[in-house]
Amino acid sequence: MTKTAPTSMISTAQPEDFFQLLKPRVMSLVVFTGATGLVVAPGSINPFVAAIAVLCIAVGAGAAGALNMALEGETDALMRRTRGRPVAAGRVNKNDAMAFGCILSLFSVMLLGMNTNWLAAGLLALTIVYYAGFYTLMLKRRTPQNIVIGGAAGAFPPVIGWAAATGSAPWQAWLLFAIIFLWTPPHSWALALYSAGDYAKAGIPMMPVAKGAKSTRLQILIYTLIFVPVAIAPGLVGMGGWIYLAVSVAGGLGFLGLAVRLWRSRAGDEPDKAEAVGREAALYDVKAQAKPARNLFAFSILYLMALFAALLIENLSGVSPITLGF
Amino acid sequence: MTMQLTPEAFAARKRRNVWIALGLVAFMVLLFTTTFLRMMHNQKAAREAQGLVPAASAPVAPAAINGAVVP
Repeated sequence: MTKTAPTSMISTAQPEDFFQLLKPRVMSLVVFTGATGLVVAPGSINPFVAAIAVLCIAVGAGAAGALNMALEGETDALMRRTRGRPVAAGRVNKNDAMAFGCILSLFSVMLLGMNTNWLAAGLLALTIVYYAGFYTLMLKRRTPQNIVIGGAAGAFPPVIGWAAATGSAPWQAWLLFAIIFLWTPPHSWALALYSAGDYAKAGIPMMPVAKGAKSTRLQILIYTLIFVPVAIAPGLVGMGGWIYLAVSVAGGLGFLGLAVRLWRSRAGDEPDKAEAVGREAALYDVKAQAKPARNLFAFSILYLMALFAALLIENLSGVSPITLGF
Repeated sequence: MTMQLTPEAFAARKRRNVWIALGLVAFMVLLFTTTFLRMMHNQKAAREAQGLVPAASAPVAPAAINGAVVP
């Protein structure tokens, strides 16, 4: 007997859709920070082993992204920023995305363990479970501190890289973790200030939705005041050289300046009018009003990249770190 | 139950299958290479432990190279 299957069972998903599930842009940052942890760690590692380790970290992070999209399909469909994602747009079935994420998680953790050591593999597994399970399923909808606690997931890659190279995770690795961990709140809240309407519609209690724009702007400034000294610290404790110190201080002052400007602005005060007054006009309005938030968001990405690039360049080119008697 | 695939769905499935095959082959190659590298490393470490070859990190004294007795 021949029956025709329901159209929902027949997938027309392309390989590119599955690649989009890996969140390639996030993955590129993870590759960068993970590779930096691996290079900065003392000792030497076979270049091929190092390349496979970075690949495993990237695929593991991508798998966590796929699981996140599988679990958040309905929510993503409600927000302009995420409605084009493969599951939200209906191009990839939720179960397919879930299976894809689980298989890639398993393969990446297993290969990293066999290739380097099980501390690195364990940290990668922890990162995936932390992001997909703890952050996506539990934190995101329950507390305005979601991004503060959940930010740890994005901060693990340099520690995994360090562990892959040395089999240990000393305080220097955790200093790199702290940089990304403290960078996440100002970065994410700056974005949330001009997407608050979307988050409110999706029922996600991001800080501007739960506590208001004014409180968010103040908290961004407070986190920036904590973050900038931590970002400079590797240049003072023998991890970074003069290039790192110059980049971290100059960029840190720029970051602080933008955070102060944002704190004094009214970014996020007016609700997002995108749906009410028409897409094009509303986007223009949001841009004009939330310019300080957009500036900080864009600069935060640049600053983090510059910090890790400086460490990477110094270690690859043999620039001596600064020692101040620590 | 036999599924009636549209030509579009059939082409998409074929492309997905090709990429799954490529991914599995890549995984096998990585696994093989990793195993091979680890075996080489372990064999070298075992030889060093048995004293058959000098440890890679230990510097060799010039006197030992010349065959002289090191006091």
